[in-house]
Amino acid sequence: MIEEEPRLSAQEMIDRLEPSLSLKRRVRAVAALLAGLAGAVFVSALWWSEPDPLPGRTQLVFALLTVCCLAWAGYGGWLLTRRVPLFATDRVIAAWMGLAASAATTTALAAVAVQRGTGLVPALAVGGLFVAVALVLAVRAHARRRALLRRVRELTGREEK
Amino acid sequence: MTDELLVVRAQLGERAALAELVARWRMPVWTYVRRMLDAERADDVSQEVWLAVLRGLPRLREPDRFAPWLFTIARRSVTDRLRGQYAFRQEDLVGDVVVEDPVESLVDRAELVSLLSELPVLEREVLVLFYLEDLPVEDCARICRIPAGTVKSRLNRARRLLREHLEKKGYRP
Repeated sequence: MIEEEPRLSAQEMIDRLEPSLSLKRRVRAVAALLAGLAGAVFVSALWWSEPDPLPGRTQLVFALLTVCCLAWAGYGGWLLTRRVPLFATDRVIAAWMGLAASAATTTALAAVAVQRGTGLVPALAVGGLFVAVALVLAVRAHARRRALLRRVRELTGREEK
Repeated sequence: MTDELLVVRAQLGERAALAELVARWRMPVWTYVRRMLDAERADDVSQEVWLAVLRGLPRLREPDRFAPWLFTIARRSVTDRLRGQYAFRQEDLVGDVVVEDPVESLVDRAELVSLLSELPVLEREVLVLFYLEDLPVEDCARICRIPAGTVKSRLNRARRLLREHLEKKGYRP
């Protein structure tokens, strides 16, 4: 009996998996999530902190911009949870990108609040929440990476004995 | 290098470890898929399995249990393809007693492979996992999401069916 073989060699299989592993795709997913979230928070803050009543069309534009940003955030989140694998080292980098984006958004929110002379406390509270979440994610990502590196050392040591 | 070390290195993001993992497990995955499906679909489904493995690997919490996890994913892909083609029986087969069977010593690997396609899906599945992939009964149970006793009874039934097929073809123990 002739033994069957898969049509794809190991290298061909890896080549086919390559698009899912591309750095560009991972960066794009993280960027879409962060930019979407930061944009949604910033536009919403501008909208709600407007001192004078806004005309209907302006309200509509703000609403559309917020929805657009949330759609990008949703797309980025979907990519990261369902399509693009983020390995331990990627998660550390993504968490720091998140922290930087949160800090930048908080600064922008605070600047707008100071310029308008109102809403500094809510702006700092929302920004602070984002920074705190990003910090927790960064700490968790570092801990996971450290745990994996420790396991690699243990297993390598065991194999060398 | 053990599978666990390869998996942990791959989880850290090492491409070489990931490539080694694919190279090491490509044939066992393909063999399982091929024994469950026809040749046309085996390559596509294998690729689908590896994509799912890639996406799930960062979240794998027990790297030392890579093989059962891998075959659980492979089984899910195969089941998706088989759904519609067969009505996948979910009820457990109970009551069979596991005994040493002369068919084990009679059937060599090549003969087993050629006869597999004639077996019902559920029996074929445990036979492939247990005999061709050399997985222990506990791992087969985990992959198929059935009790270990059900795996044993399916194996028993599969061996009986296999023996009947062999006898029809003129083999005598």
